[in-house]
Amino acid sequence: MSLWQALFMGLLQGASELFPVSSLGHAVLVPSLLRWTFKQSDPSFVPFLVLLHLGTATALLVIYRDEWVAIIRGFFTAAVRGEMRTEPERLAMLLLVGTIPAATLGVFLESRIKALFTSPYEAAAFLVVNGVLMLGFEQLRRRTERRTAVAAASRDEQEAHFAQAERISFRAAALVGACQALAFFPGISRSGITIGGGLIAGLRHQEAARFSFLLATPVILGAGIVEVPQLFTNGVPLGEYLAAAVLSGVAAYASARFLLRYFRSGRLDPYGWYCIAAGLVSLALLRFSL
Amino acid sequence: MAVALGVLGVVFIILAVLYALGVLQIFTSTTSGPHYKHAILLAVLAVASFVAASFARPKTA
Repeated sequence: MSLWQALFMGLLQGASELFPVSSLGHAVLVPSLLRWTFKQSDPSFVPFLVLLHLGTATALLVIYRDEWVAIIRGFFTAAVRGEMRTEPERLAMLLLVGTIPAATLGVFLESRIKALFTSPYEAAAFLVVNGVLMLGFEQLRRRTERRTAVAAASRDEQEAHFAQAERISFRAAALVGACQALAFFPGISRSGITIGGGLIAGLRHQEAARFSFLLATPVILGAGIVEVPQLFTNGVPLGEYLAAAVLSGVAAYASARFLLRYFRSGRLDPYGWYCIAAGLVSLALLRFSL
Repeated sequence: MAVALGVLGVVFIILAVLYALGVLQIFTSTTSGPHYKHAILLAVLAVASFVAASFARPKTA
């Protein structure tokens, strides 16, 4: 992989990781469509992805630094006391419950799942599925809005009717966490599926995005740290990879800021339509070798 | 309930140590060597069990 390819992949991964459009799907599809010669089965590709993810996790830690301090403090306080009294304490426990399903499935089944679905055709097909899911989540949300008679209100008033992340039930947190596991299929977006799960759990769009980003941090960071030793094997161009990781972190920071602002009143629909279009176009390009 | 969750936590710790030492090879991609990812996950599950045990224990007024 050349330096420019590494930087491009860093930018692509960082930007698409938090958008509900599947970074893994794009990482599988784009090099295939551009006919780049590097193999994703190459032993140095995993350390590369690890560093890119650490860049993303760092960006999320920077954005939520104050919140993470309160969450970690709240976790220990509530765990020792055996009781949750404050919102950070409840959020800490919700994040713990939400992290367990995806982490468990990820560790025990990841290699089996990824071995089944690594071709660009499947990534493109799952991208279409992801788009349909995003539109489906929004349809369900609109139905709830109609049922609660806020459909005619302004978007701000509609959103104010729904809850903030600390208020969801533990069952809902576990469900959102389980949704994360679907993102092992390249083309299914981790942030998209968890934001959608949050919407079904009754969260505002912005709060669903916030919960999704908070939920992502321990998993991404944990997976990254565990894989760090692979970076120090022979033949890994650490300098190039680090530059790509920095770019990935900057792109992730910018996209998180944008999305948190966008979801004050925005919906998942545009990303759903994008995924359907991108998946179908990719399938056509791959099928006809254009 | 609290005792059961505490015992579950201890079981998770034992499994974590076995994976870290490379004794356990169940549900792993390679069939030899230590599996730190599995060990860390089981350590997290142990922590979660102990936290749940703390929530389940009877509180004194």
